[in-house]
Amino acid sequence: LSARQVRKEATRQRVLDAARGLFESVGYEGTTVRMIARAAGVSVGSVFTTFKSKREVLSHILHERLDGLHGELNHVASQLRGSTADRLRSIFAIHFAYVSHHPSLFLAYVATTFDGPGEKSEEQRQDSRLWKILHGCLEDGRTRGEVCPHVDITLVTDLLLAAYVWTYRLVAREDADVDALSQVMDRHIGLIADGFTPRPDAAA
Amino acid sequence: MDRNAGGLEGPFRRMSAAESPSSDAPSRAPTRRALAKQQTRGRILEAARRLFSEHGYEGATIRDIAAAANMSTGAVFANFADKYDLFRDILEIETEHAVEIMRAAAVGGANVEDVLLRMFRVSFSHYEGLLPLARASFAVAISPQGLALVGGECIGRFFRLFREPLDAAVTRGELRGDCNIQLLNEMLWEAYLSNILKMIYQGVSPQAALERARAQFSVLLAGCRVF
Repeated sequence: LSARQVRKEATRQRVLDAARGLFESVGYEGTTVRMIARAAGVSVGSVFTTFKSKREVLSHILHERLDGLHGELNHVASQLRGSTADRLRSIFAIHFAYVSHHPSLFLAYVATTFDGPGEKSEEQRQDSRLWKILHGCLEDGRTRGEVCPHVDITLVTDLLLAAYVWTYRLVAREDADVDALSQVMDRHIGLIADGFTPRPDAAA
Repeated sequence: MDRNAGGLEGPFRRMSAAESPSSDAPSRAPTRRALAKQQTRGRILEAARRLFSEHGYEGATIRDIAAAANMSTGAVFANFADKYDLFRDILEIETEHAVEIMRAAAVGGANVEDVLLRMFRVSFSHYEGLLPLARASFAVAISPQGLALVGGECIGRFFRLFREPLDAAVTRGELRGDCNIQLLNEMLWEAYLSNILKMIYQGVSPQAALERARAQFSVLLAGCRVF
Protein backbone atom coordinates (compact mmCIF):
# COMPACT_ATOMS: atom_id res chain seq x y z
CA LEU A 1 0.00 0.00 0.00
CA SER A 2 1.20 3.46 -0.84
CA ALA A 3 1.20 6.18 1.81
CA ARG A 4 -1.68 7.77 -0.02
CA GLN A 5 -3.77 4.62 0.10
CA VAL A 6 -3.04 4.21 3.79
CA ARG A 7 -4.19 7.76 4.44
CA LYS A 8 -7.30 7.20 2.40
CA GLU A 9 -8.19 4.04 4.30
CA ALA A 10 -7.61 5.81 7.62
CA THR A 11 -9.97 8.60 6.56
CA ARG A 12 -12.53 6.04 5.51
CA GLN A 13 -12.44 4.30 8.88
CA ARG A 14 -12.66 7.59 10.76
CA VAL A 15 -15.69 8.62 8.69
CA LEU A 16 -17.37 5.27 9.32
CA ASP A 17 -16.66 5.40 13.07
CA ALA A 18 -17.95 8.95 13.33
CA ALA A 19 -21.06 8.11 11.31
CA ARG A 20 -21.81 5.01 13.40
CA GLY A 21 -21.76 7.13 16.54
CA LEU A 22 -23.87 9.92 15.10
CA PHE A 23 -26.45 7.66 13.45
CA GLU A 24 -26.96 5.97 16.79
CA SER A 25 -27.10 9.11 18.91
CA VAL A 26 -28.95 11.58 16.64
CA GLY A 27 -30.41 9.19 14.09
CA TYR A 28 -29.86 8.97 10.36
CA GLU A 29 -32.12 11.86 9.39
CA GLY A 30 -30.70 14.15 12.05
CA THR A 31 -27.13 13.56 10.97
CA THR A 32 -25.61 15.74 8.26
CA VAL A 33 -22.46 15.08 6.26
CA ARG A 34 -20.99 18.19 7.86
CA MET A 35 -21.53 16.69 11.32
CA ILE A 36 -19.87 13.46 10.23
CA ALA A 37 -16.88 15.39 8.88
CA ARG A 38 -16.51 17.40 12.07
CA ALA A 39 -16.72 14.32 14.31
CA ALA A 40 -14.19 12.48 12.13
CA GLY A 41 -11.85 15.46 12.10
CA VAL A 42 -11.80 15.64 8.30
CA SER A 43 -13.15 18.09 5.75
CA VAL A 44 -16.57 17.73 4.15
CA GLY A 45 -14.73 17.29 0.86
CA SER A 46 -12.84 14.27 2.20
CA VAL A 47 -16.10 12.61 3.19
CA PHE A 48 -17.39 13.04 -0.32
CA THR A 49 -14.24 11.70 -1.95
CA THR A 50 -14.65 8.54 0.12
CA PHE A 51 -18.42 8.11 -0.12
CA LYS A 52 -20.89 9.40 -2.67
CA SER A 53 -23.53 10.35 -0.11
CA LYS A 54 -24.74 9.99 3.45
CA ARG A 55 -26.88 7.15 2.21
CA GLU A 56 -23.82 5.29 0.99
CA VAL A 57 -22.18 5.64 4.40
CA LEU A 58 -25.28 4.15 6.02
CA SER A 59 -25.46 1.35 3.53
CA HIS A 60 -21.80 0.47 4.12
CA ILE A 61 -22.29 0.34 7.89
CA LEU A 62 -25.35 -1.86 7.63
CA HIS A 63 -23.77 -4.22 5.12
CA GLU A 64 -21.02 -4.99 7.60
CA ARG A 65 -23.65 -5.88 10.18
CA LEU A 66 -25.81 -7.87 7.79
CA ASP A 67 -22.86 -9.91 6.54
CA GLY A 68 -22.41 -11.19 10.07
CA LEU A 69 -26.09 -11.92 10.43
CA HIS A 70 -26.41 -13.87 7.21
CA GLY A 71 -23.36 -15.94 8.03
CA GLU A 72 -24.94 -16.84 11.34
CA LEU A 73 -28.32 -17.61 9.77
CA ASN A 74 -26.79 -19.90 7.18
CA HIS A 75 -25.02 -21.78 9.90
CA VAL A 76 -28.07 -22.07 12.15
CA ALA A 77 -30.46 -23.00 9.33
CA SER A 78 -28.63 -26.25 8.69
CA GLN A 79 -28.94 -27.27 12.34
CA LEU A 80 -32.59 -26.51 12.92
CA ARG A 81 -34.96 -29.28 13.99
CA GLY A 82 -38.73 -29.42 14.32
CA SER A 83 -41.54 -28.60 11.91
CA THR A 84 -41.04 -26.33 8.92
CA ALA A 85 -43.13 -23.60 10.56
CA ASP A 86 -41.02 -23.80 13.72
CA ARG A 87 -37.81 -23.60 11.73
CA LEU A 88 -39.07 -20.54 9.90
CA ARG A 89 -39.98 -19.01 13.26
CA SER A 90 -36.45 -19.63 14.53
CA ILE A 91 -34.87 -18.03 11.47
CA PHE A 92 -36.93 -14.87 11.93
CA ALA A 93 -36.37 -14.80 15.69
CA ILE A 94 -32.61 -14.79 15.13
CA HIS A 95 -32.95 -12.16 12.47
CA PHE A 96 -35.03 -9.89 14.72
CA ALA A 97 -32.70 -10.35 17.67
CA TYR A 98 -29.79 -9.29 15.51
CA VAL A 99 -31.26 -6.22 13.88
CA SER A 100 -33.05 -5.04 17.00
CA HIS A 101 -29.83 -3.59 18.37
CA HIS A 102 -30.22 -0.76 15.91
CA PRO A 103 -33.89 -0.70 14.96
CA SER A 104 -34.25 2.85 13.74
CA LEU A 105 -30.99 2.68 11.84
CA PHE A 106 -32.07 -0.46 10.08
CA LEU A 107 -35.44 1.05 9.31
CA ALA A 108 -33.85 4.23 7.97
CA TYR A 109 -31.76 2.00 5.74
CA VAL A 110 -34.77 0.12 4.43
CA ALA A 111 -36.52 3.44 3.77
CA THR A 112 -33.59 5.00 1.90
CA THR A 113 -33.13 1.95 -0.27
CA PHE A 114 -36.77 2.08 -1.28
CA ASP A 115 -36.77 5.82 -1.97
CA GLY A 116 -35.93 7.60 -5.15
CA PRO A 117 -35.50 6.56 -8.72
CA GLY A 118 -32.47 4.82 -10.11
CA GLU A 119 -30.30 1.84 -9.43
CA LYS A 120 -31.46 -1.53 -8.20
CA SER A 121 -31.67 -1.24 -4.48
CA GLU A 122 -29.07 -2.85 -2.26
CA GLU A 123 -31.89 -3.97 -0.05
CA GLN A 124 -32.85 -6.42 -2.74
CA ARG A 125 -29.43 -7.98 -2.54
CA GLN A 126 -29.73 -8.27 1.24
CA ASP A 127 -33.27 -9.53 0.92
CA SER A 128 -32.21 -12.17 -1.51
CA ARG A 129 -29.83 -13.71 1.00
CA LEU A 130 -32.57 -14.04 3.60
CA TRP A 131 -34.85 -15.11 0.77
CA LYS A 132 -32.52 -18.00 -0.12
CA ILE A 133 -32.32 -19.18 3.47
CA LEU A 134 -36.12 -19.21 3.78
CA HIS A 135 -36.55 -20.86 0.41
CA GLY A 136 -34.07 -23.57 1.38
CA CYS A 137 -35.98 -24.20 4.59
CA LEU A 138 -39.22 -24.68 2.65
CA GLU A 139 -37.55 -27.02 0.15
CA ASP A 140 -36.27 -29.14 3.01
CA GLY A 141 -39.81 -29.15 4.37
CA ARG A 142 -41.10 -30.44 1.07
CA THR A 143 -38.68 -33.37 1.07
CA ARG A 144 -39.99 -34.24 4.54
CA GLY A 145 -43.58 -34.10 3.25
CA GLU A 146 -44.50 -31.04 5.31
CA VAL A 147 -45.01 -28.74 2.36
CA CYS A 148 -47.76 -29.55 -0.11
CA PRO A 149 -46.27 -30.45 -3.52
CA HIS A 150 -48.78 -28.19 -5.31
CA VAL A 151 -47.75 -25.08 -3.43
CA ASP A 152 -45.38 -22.65 -5.12
CA ILE A 153 -42.42 -22.35 -2.73
CA THR A 154 -41.20 -19.13 -4.35
CA LEU A 155 -44.58 -17.55 -3.72
CA VAL A 156 -44.58 -18.69 -0.10
CA THR A 157 -41.08 -17.30 0.42
CA ASP A 158 -42.22 -13.95 -0.98
CA LEU A 159 -45.19 -13.95 1.38
CA LEU A 160 -42.92 -14.57 4.35
CA LEU A 161 -40.73 -11.65 3.34
CA ALA A 162 -43.76 -9.44 2.79
CA ALA A 163 -44.95 -10.24 6.30
CA TYR A 164 -41.45 -9.59 7.61
CA VAL A 165 -41.04 -6.16 6.00
CA TRP A 166 -44.35 -5.03 7.38
CA THR A 167 -43.89 -6.51 10.82
CA TYR A 168 -40.58 -4.75 11.10
CA ARG A 169 -42.38 -1.42 11.10
CA LEU A 170 -43.65 -2.23 14.57
CA VAL A 171 -40.21 -1.58 15.97
CA ALA A 172 -40.34 2.06 15.11
CA ARG A 173 -44.05 2.66 15.38
CA GLU A 174 -44.73 0.94 18.65
CA ASP A 175 -41.23 0.57 19.95
CA ALA A 176 -41.85 -3.16 20.01
CA ASP A 177 -39.13 -5.38 21.46
CA VAL A 178 -37.77 -8.54 19.88
CA ASP A 179 -40.25 -10.78 21.65
CA ALA A 180 -43.24 -8.76 20.56
CA LEU A 181 -41.91 -8.68 17.02
CA SER A 182 -41.30 -12.41 16.97
CA GLN A 183 -44.78 -13.08 18.33
CA VAL A 184 -46.40 -11.10 15.54
CA MET A 185 -44.22 -12.82 12.96
CA ASP A 186 -45.00 -16.23 14.49
CA ARG A 187 -48.72 -15.70 13.93
CA HIS A 188 -48.12 -14.69 10.32
CA ILE A 189 -45.97 -17.76 9.78
CA GLY A 190 -48.80 -19.83 11.27
CA LEU A 191 -51.28 -18.47 8.76
CA ILE A 192 -48.89 -19.02 5.85
CA ALA A 193 -48.10 -22.53 7.12
CA ASP A 194 -51.84 -23.31 7.06
CA GLY A 195 -51.63 -22.57 3.36
CA PHE A 196 -48.63 -24.76 2.54
CA THR A 197 -49.30 -27.73 4.82
CA PRO A 198 -50.74 -30.74 2.95
CA ARG A 199 -54.46 -31.03 3.72
CA PRO A 200 -55.88 -34.55 3.75
CA ASP A 201 -59.44 -33.18 3.94
CA ALA A 202 -58.98 -31.19 0.72
CA ALA A 203 -57.44 -34.05 -1.25
CA ALA A 204 -60.66 -34.82 -3.06
CA MET B 1 -40.06 31.72 -14.49
CA ASP B 2 -43.50 30.76 -15.66
CA ARG B 3 -43.19 27.01 -15.28
CA ASN B 4 -46.40 25.26 -14.73
CA ALA B 5 -48.51 27.93 -13.21
CA GLY B 6 -51.41 26.33 -15.05
CA GLY B 7 -54.53 24.54 -13.90
CA LEU B 8 -54.91 21.60 -11.58
CA GLU B 9 -54.90 18.10 -12.84
CA GLY B 10 -56.09 14.71 -11.70
CA PRO B 11 -57.02 14.14 -8.10
CA PHE B 12 -56.11 17.67 -7.07
CA ARG B 13 -59.07 19.07 -8.89
CA ARG B 14 -61.27 17.33 -6.37
CA MET B 15 -59.63 19.24 -3.56
CA SER B 16 -61.95 22.18 -3.84
CA ALA B 17 -64.97 19.98 -3.46
CA ALA B 18 -63.45 17.90 -0.68
CA GLU B 19 -62.25 20.81 1.40
CA SER B 20 -65.04 22.52 3.19
CA PRO B 21 -64.99 26.27 3.60
CA SER B 22 -64.13 27.85 6.93
CA SER B 23 -65.78 26.19 9.89
CA ASP B 24 -67.70 29.24 11.05
CA ALA B 25 -69.62 29.51 7.80
CA PRO B 26 -70.14 25.95 6.62
CA SER B 27 -73.15 26.63 4.42
CA ARG B 28 -72.01 29.82 2.76
CA ALA B 29 -69.72 30.02 -0.23
CA PRO B 30 -66.04 30.29 0.63
CA THR B 31 -64.57 33.75 0.77
CA ARG B 32 -62.27 34.96 -1.96
CA ARG B 33 -59.39 34.70 0.44
CA ALA B 34 -60.20 31.09 1.28
CA LEU B 35 -60.48 30.28 -2.41
CA ALA B 36 -57.12 31.88 -3.14
CA LYS B 37 -55.57 29.89 -0.32
CA GLN B 38 -57.05 26.66 -1.67
CA GLN B 39 -55.69 27.46 -5.06
CA THR B 40 -52.24 28.10 -3.62
CA ARG B 41 -52.32 24.79 -1.74
CA GLY B 42 -53.41 23.03 -4.91
CA ARG B 43 -50.53 24.53 -6.86
CA ILE B 44 -48.01 23.51 -4.22
CA LEU B 45 -49.42 19.99 -4.04
CA GLU B 46 -49.32 19.63 -7.78
CA ALA B 47 -45.68 20.74 -7.97
CA ALA B 48 -44.74 18.59 -4.99
CA ARG B 49 -46.43 15.54 -6.46
CA ARG B 50 -44.44 15.96 -9.66
CA LEU B 51 -41.09 16.45 -7.89
CA PHE B 52 -41.63 13.54 -5.47
CA SER B 53 -42.40 11.38 -8.50
CA GLU B 54 -39.25 12.51 -10.28
CA HIS B 55 -36.76 12.60 -7.43
CA GLY B 56 -38.19 10.51 -4.60
CA TYR B 57 -39.11 11.86 -1.19
CA GLU B 58 -35.61 12.71 0.04
CA GLY B 59 -34.56 14.03 -3.34
CA ALA B 60 -37.22 16.74 -3.51
CA THR B 61 -36.64 19.75 -1.27
CA ILE B 62 -39.14 22.38 -0.17
CA ARG B 63 -37.04 24.91 -2.07
CA ASP B 64 -37.36 22.90 -5.32
CA ILE B 65 -41.07 22.50 -4.74
CA ALA B 66 -41.51 26.22 -4.15
CA ALA B 67 -39.56 27.03 -7.31
CA ALA B 68 -41.60 24.57 -9.36
CA ALA B 69 -44.83 26.08 -8.02
CA ASN B 70 -43.43 29.50 -8.83
CA MET B 71 -43.59 30.78 -5.27
CA SER B 72 -41.37 31.48 -2.29
CA THR B 73 -40.44 28.86 0.31
CA GLY B 74 -42.20 31.14 2.80
CA ALA B 75 -45.45 30.73 0.88
CA VAL B 76 -45.05 26.95 1.02
CA PHE B 77 -44.45 27.03 4.77
CA ALA B 78 -47.47 29.27 5.24
CA ASN B 79 -49.57 26.42 3.89
CA PHE B 80 -47.77 23.33 5.13
CA ALA B 81 -45.88 22.77 8.37
CA ASP B 82 -43.09 20.81 6.69
CA LYS B 83 -42.31 18.34 3.94
CA TYR B 84 -44.02 15.45 5.74
CA ASP B 85 -47.16 17.51 6.12
CA LEU B 86 -47.10 18.19 2.41
CA PHE B 87 -46.48 14.60 1.51
CA ARG B 88 -49.18 13.37 3.85
CA ASP B 89 -51.75 15.50 2.03
CA ILE B 90 -50.70 14.04 -1.30
CA LEU B 91 -50.82 10.52 0.08
CA GLU B 92 -54.25 11.07 1.62
CA ILE B 93 -55.70 12.32 -1.63
CA GLU B 94 -54.14 9.42 -3.53
CA THR B 95 -55.29 6.84 -1.01
CA GLU B 96 -58.83 8.14 -0.92
CA HIS B 97 -58.96 7.93 -4.68
CA ALA B 98 -57.48 4.42 -4.84
CA VAL B 99 -59.79 3.05 -2.16
CA GLU B 100 -62.76 4.62 -3.90
CA ILE B 101 -62.10 2.93 -7.24
CA MET B 102 -61.26 -0.38 -5.56
CA ARG B 103 -64.50 -0.39 -3.58
CA ALA B 104 -66.47 0.43 -6.73
CA ALA B 105 -64.72 -2.39 -8.62
CA ALA B 106 -65.64 -4.90 -5.92
CA VAL B 107 -69.38 -4.54 -6.47
CA GLY B 108 -70.89 -7.72 -7.85
CA GLY B 109 -68.01 -10.02 -6.93
CA ALA B 110 -69.13 -13.65 -6.68
CA ASN B 111 -67.12 -14.68 -3.61
CA VAL B 112 -64.35 -13.44 -1.36
CA GLU B 113 -61.62 -14.34 -3.83
CA ASP B 114 -63.43 -12.71 -6.72
CA VAL B 115 -64.07 -9.51 -4.75
CA LEU B 116 -60.41 -9.27 -3.75
CA LEU B 117 -59.27 -9.96 -7.30
CA ARG B 118 -61.53 -7.22 -8.64
CA MET B 119 -60.10 -4.77 -6.13
CA PHE B 120 -56.50 -5.74 -6.81
CA ARG B 121 -56.98 -5.68 -10.59
CA VAL B 122 -58.25 -2.11 -10.72
CA SER B 123 -55.62 -0.98 -8.22
CA PHE B 124 -52.69 -2.52 -10.10
CA SER B 125 -53.78 -0.89 -13.35
CA HIS B 126 -54.21 2.40 -11.51
CA TYR B 127 -50.76 2.30 -9.93
CA GLU B 128 -49.08 1.29 -13.16
CA GLY B 129 -49.14 4.96 -14.14
CA LEU B 130 -48.12 6.16 -10.68
CA LEU B 131 -45.18 3.92 -9.83
CA PRO B 132 -42.65 6.67 -9.00
CA LEU B 133 -45.07 8.28 -6.57
CA ALA B 134 -45.96 4.88 -5.12
CA ARG B 135 -42.25 4.27 -4.61
CA ALA B 136 -41.81 7.54 -2.70
CA SER B 137 -44.93 6.77 -0.64
CA PHE B 138 -43.63 3.40 0.38
CA ALA B 139 -40.26 4.85 1.35
CA VAL B 140 -41.95 7.45 3.55
CA ALA B 141 -44.40 4.97 5.04
CA ILE B 142 -41.60 2.68 6.16
CA SER B 143 -39.26 5.41 7.46
CA PRO B 144 -39.08 6.02 11.22
CA GLN B 145 -40.58 9.51 10.98
CA GLY B 146 -43.14 8.67 8.37
CA LEU B 147 -44.75 5.89 10.33
CA ALA B 148 -46.42 8.10 12.87
CA LEU B 149 -47.43 10.72 10.35
CA VAL B 150 -48.67 8.91 7.30
CA GLY B 151 -48.83 5.36 8.53
CA GLY B 152 -52.03 5.07 10.45
CA GLU B 153 -54.70 6.88 8.51
CA CYS B 154 -53.92 5.84 4.96
CA ILE B 155 -53.14 2.24 5.77
CA GLY B 156 -56.23 2.05 7.93
CA ARG B 157 -58.34 2.77 4.88
CA PHE B 158 -56.86 -0.17 3.02
CA PHE B 159 -57.32 -2.37 6.08
CA ARG B 160 -60.99 -1.51 6.32
CA LEU B 161 -61.40 -2.02 2.59
CA PHE B 162 -59.96 -5.54 2.71
CA ARG B 163 -61.87 -6.34 5.88
CA GLU B 164 -65.29 -5.92 4.29
CA PRO B 165 -65.20 -8.95 1.95
CA LEU B 166 -63.67 -11.08 4.72
CA ASP B 167 -66.47 -10.32 7.16
CA ALA B 168 -69.04 -10.86 4.42
CA ALA B 169 -67.47 -14.24 3.61
CA VAL B 170 -67.73 -15.32 7.24
CA THR B 171 -71.40 -14.27 7.29
CA ARG B 172 -72.05 -16.24 4.09
CA GLY B 173 -70.27 -19.27 5.52
CA GLU B 174 -67.45 -19.17 2.98
CA LEU B 175 -64.80 -18.65 5.64
CA ARG B 176 -64.81 -20.18 9.08
CA GLY B 177 -66.05 -17.93 11.86
CA ASP B 178 -63.31 -19.06 14.20
CA CYS B 179 -60.41 -18.13 11.96
CA ASN B 180 -58.32 -15.08 12.78
CA ILE B 181 -59.85 -12.51 10.45
CA GLN B 182 -57.73 -9.71 11.83
CA LEU B 183 -54.56 -11.61 10.96
CA LEU B 184 -55.87 -12.54 7.53
CA ASN B 185 -56.75 -8.88 7.01
CA GLU B 186 -53.20 -7.88 7.82
CA MET B 187 -51.67 -10.54 5.59
CA LEU B 188 -53.86 -9.42 2.69
CA TRP B 189 -52.49 -5.92 3.05
CA GLU B 190 -48.94 -7.28 3.10
CA ALA B 191 -49.61 -9.40 0.03
CA TYR B 192 -51.19 -6.43 -1.73
CA LEU B 193 -48.21 -4.24 -0.92
CA SER B 194 -45.73 -6.91 -2.00
CA ASN B 195 -47.33 -6.99 -5.43
CA ILE B 196 -47.15 -3.22 -5.78
CA LEU B 197 -43.48 -3.44 -4.74
CA LYS B 198 -42.89 -6.07 -7.42
CA MET B 199 -44.35 -3.65 -9.95
CA ILE B 200 -42.22 -0.78 -8.67
CA TYR B 201 -38.87 -2.51 -8.25
CA GLN B 202 -38.95 -5.43 -10.62
CA GLY B 203 -41.08 -4.13 -13.43
CA VAL B 204 -43.75 -6.78 -12.97
CA SER B 205 -46.81 -6.06 -15.15
CA PRO B 206 -50.26 -5.51 -13.59
CA GLN B 207 -51.40 -8.80 -15.17
CA ALA B 208 -48.51 -10.75 -13.66
CA ALA B 209 -49.08 -9.04 -10.30
CA LEU B 210 -52.71 -10.15 -10.43
CA GLU B 211 -51.76 -13.76 -11.15
CA ARG B 212 -49.43 -13.56 -8.21
CA ALA B 213 -52.24 -12.21 -6.03
CA ARG B 214 -54.51 -15.07 -7.11
CA ALA B 215 -51.90 -17.60 -6.00
CA GLN B 216 -51.37 -15.70 -2.75
CA PHE B 217 -55.10 -15.83 -1.96
CA SER B 218 -55.14 -19.59 -2.34
CA VAL B 219 -52.33 -19.91 0.22
CA LEU B 220 -53.65 -17.31 2.63
CA LEU B 221 -57.29 -18.40 2.57
CA ALA B 222 -56.52 -22.12 2.70
CA GLY B 223 -56.63 -22.43 6.48
CA CYS B 224 -59.86 -20.42 6.80
CA ARG B 225 -62.01 -22.03 4.16
CA VAL B 226 -65.08 -24.05 4.96
CA PHE B 227 -64.86 -27.37 3.16
